[in-house]
Amino acid sequence: MKHATTLSSNTLKNSMKKGGCGECQTSCQSACKTSCTVGNQSCENRNR
Amino acid sequence: MIHQYINNGYHIILDVNSGSVHAADALFYDVTAVLAGCVADMEKPRPLSAEEKAQVYERLSGKYRKEELDDALSDIQELIDAEELFTADVYKDYVVDFKKRQTVVKALCLHIAHDCNLTCRYCFAGEGEYHGRRAMMSFEVGKKALDFLIANSGNRVNLEVDFFGGEPLMNWDVVKKLVEYGRSQEKEHNKRFRFTLTTNGVLLNDEIMDFCNREMSNVVLSLDGRKEVNDRMRPFPNGSGSYDLIVPKFQKFAESRGDRDYFVRGTFTRNNLDFSKDVLHFADLGFKKLSIEPVVAPPEAPYSIREEDLPQILDEYDKLAKEFVKREKEGRGFRFFHFMIDLSQGPCVAKRLSGCGSGTEYLAVTPWGDLYPCHQFVGMEDFLLGNVDDGITNTKVRDEFKLCNVYAKEKCRDCFARFYCSGGCAANSYNFHGSITDAYDVGCEMQKKRIECAIMIKAALADA
Repeated sequence: MKHATTLSSNTLKNSMKKGGCGECQTSCQSACKTSCTVGNQSCENRNR
Repeated sequence: MIHQYINNGYHIILDVNSGSVHAADALFYDVTAVLAGCVADMEKPRPLSAEEKAQVYERLSGKYRKEELDDALSDIQELIDAEELFTADVYKDYVVDFKKRQTVVKALCLHIAHDCNLTCRYCFAGEGEYHGRRAMMSFEVGKKALDFLIANSGNRVNLEVDFFGGEPLMNWDVVKKLVEYGRSQEKEHNKRFRFTLTTNGVLLNDEIMDFCNREMSNVVLSLDGRKEVNDRMRPFPNGSGSYDLIVPKFQKFAESRGDRDYFVRGTFTRNNLDFSKDVLHFADLGFKKLSIEPVVAPPEAPYSIREEDLPQILDEYDKLAKEFVKREKEGRGFRFFHFMIDLSQGPCVAKRLSGCGSGTEYLAVTPWGDLYPCHQFVGMEDFLLGNVDDGITNTKVRDEFKLCNVYAKEKCRDCFARFYCSGGCAANSYNFHGSITDAYDVGCEMQKKRIECAIMIKAALADA
């Protein structure tokens, strides 16, 4: 690969397999309270 | 679906459906742009066709040599084969299951005080009262709320409780007792409470800071930035500014947090569209974890954000992102809430589809124990869900929120940001369009820019 650097690979599709445990933080409990920002939350799935 | 943009000199390509992000050179970027116009999303990888390649040669032969174009096409094919470019959206079927899901409650926003000791001009809570009456939550109501949360949280271990207001420090004794009660229930029920506090800082003292440093996993400290900006919108009832009293307390508090989280969180309005200066002011005051949010206000408010303000606002985010990178590289970096993005260990697609969880996983509790879909709906009687004694009785409204996901929103279907913002804020959507499945368009433009900046920052920091 000469012309591009991958910063993130195919994470979304893979996350379907073991996702949805719901242990992660609720977005509005962090700092926003007036918008919705989910992409910056971290996954807390121990079985991932 | 491909989204590509140039920011701060970086050529960024997002393959939206797979979540892959690539930093490219100009050649790769240009070839991808041509292909994005003629290559349909692929359920499974396939070789680029002769016709598709011909489009590239035809459109770019004046700018690049054929060998260069073939080189880029070869790289692109490699990413297609790895399912990291031109992938299809395979999550729609997932949403069918999603509608049948049993939701559990895992987070509460406790309105511990509907009263405030500041009179912030933009307060969506109507200076703490939420357009209702002044009231304090009693320990008994708070205890029932925690019991309701434990009982309705299924197998979830991590439970979140935010002490919110109004100003929660005006009812501090109840906060302490509720934390103590919550802790006493953890072992028996196999739960772990994460308590957080959102405060304006007026009543902060050493005892409160010590308690929070032991018990609160995060504290959100409200301050708007430069003194003149803060004091214009966050005065005391007598009209005097709050900056001079608050800042030293917040500095001491932030310093004492150690490795526990805090955020200094501001609101920007039409009065300070140059808000990047306020974020940098926070950093210059020594704060490391920062957030600033656009005001949520009716369009007729003189300080509300309007569509015509967008060019300046988007430019401010770009400026802030550049300065963010510069300071990080100089070893004096900070965190900015909306530039935080976890590209490798971020949320799963289930989370990204369901959004903030308002009305299902996340509820707000009023001082007298009524339940609402979130803090921003408190006081809107159509959205009253139930109360801490009877639980959720208005299942019709609850089910509307349950179905609120990115595919339920027309405006989100073709948006590159849909898996980052998850369809945006339901309250903003309702306030501007009267529906929770619409989107607040001005907010969307800002959100998209913040995501672009956050990804550019990743590219810039990876580029040592």
